[in-house]
Amino acid sequence: MDDSDEALMARIARGDERAFRALAGRHLPVMLGLARRILGNAADAEEVAQEAMLRVWTHAPRWQPLAQFRTWLTRVVVNLCLDRKRRASWVALEVAGEIVDPALGASEKAEHDERERLVAAAIGELPERQRAAIVLTYGDGMSNAQVAEVLDTSVSAVETLLMRGKQNLRRALERVIDEDA
Amino acid sequence: MNKVQLAEFLESALKRHTQAPPANEAAVERVLKRLSGPLPRQKRPLWRLPGVLLDWQFAPAWPRVAALACCAALGFVIGIAGVDRRFDRGGSPFAAVSSTDIGSIVFEPEPLTGARP
Repeated sequence: MDDSDEALMARIARGDERAFRALAGRHLPVMLGLARRILGNAADAEEVAQEAMLRVWTHAPRWQPLAQFRTWLTRVVVNLCLDRKRRASWVALEVAGEIVDPALGASEKAEHDERERLVAAAIGELPERQRAAIVLTYGDGMSNAQVAEVLDTSVSAVETLLMRGKQNLRRALERVIDEDA
Repeated sequence: MNKVQLAEFLESALKRHTQAPPANEAAVERVLKRLSGPLPRQKRPLWRLPGVLLDWQFAPAWPRVAALACCAALGFVIGIAGVDRRFDRGGSPFAAVSSTDIGSIVFEPEPLTGARP
């Protein structure tokens, strides 16, 4: 049996709940991670992922395979994240898994950790569309065209979002570094 | 840290901080559990309505078909037998009386003798 996303969506459109659960199990981990990185809040990310999967179920009969299912679902999740009226408090991602040079001394390590914390906080302070563009580009490795499709905008607008986002981050970091110096 | 170093640091930091976190199995399980309940009604486009109707199975209800055939047969027999024909038409013995002109049975005196019937 064909179990591609498109085939499952066709079965879901006919009301097949088993196909829906199979599709949800396949994409939920990635969509949860994406929502978590855009919202910066695990509880809200779960709600967004659940809402996105319910939209997959309700809109399946109307869904047209004009784009890849994954792109469409990413767009749903990003839009839900951006639509959240209640601004979730940003909780920086754990820096777990990051390899720190063991040769670093205690003071250098502390400085390194502080810088990482600042970057995380600065990303959390970014406007949501800039943050979404940065997460999709740097985190998911999407091209500008793909990001434009997900954010329903033009490629040049994505480039502008990325440029402004990085400018904002650089400004925030420079300010902190200047204060330290 | 000069501008170039800052730019390089920023690029690498962005990649690190926006990387997908390892899948949180517990969170995935929680959401899947919430989705395992009754699902909402699906939104169907109106242009698919003819298709939906065609998808329906119109299986004939044989008892009703038999009842309809019986009614049709009964109607045919009644029509052939003429049970519904009016009693004052055709070969009925009442037909002659009932179809007679009322004016012809007025009792009038004989013109010559004046006798009455």
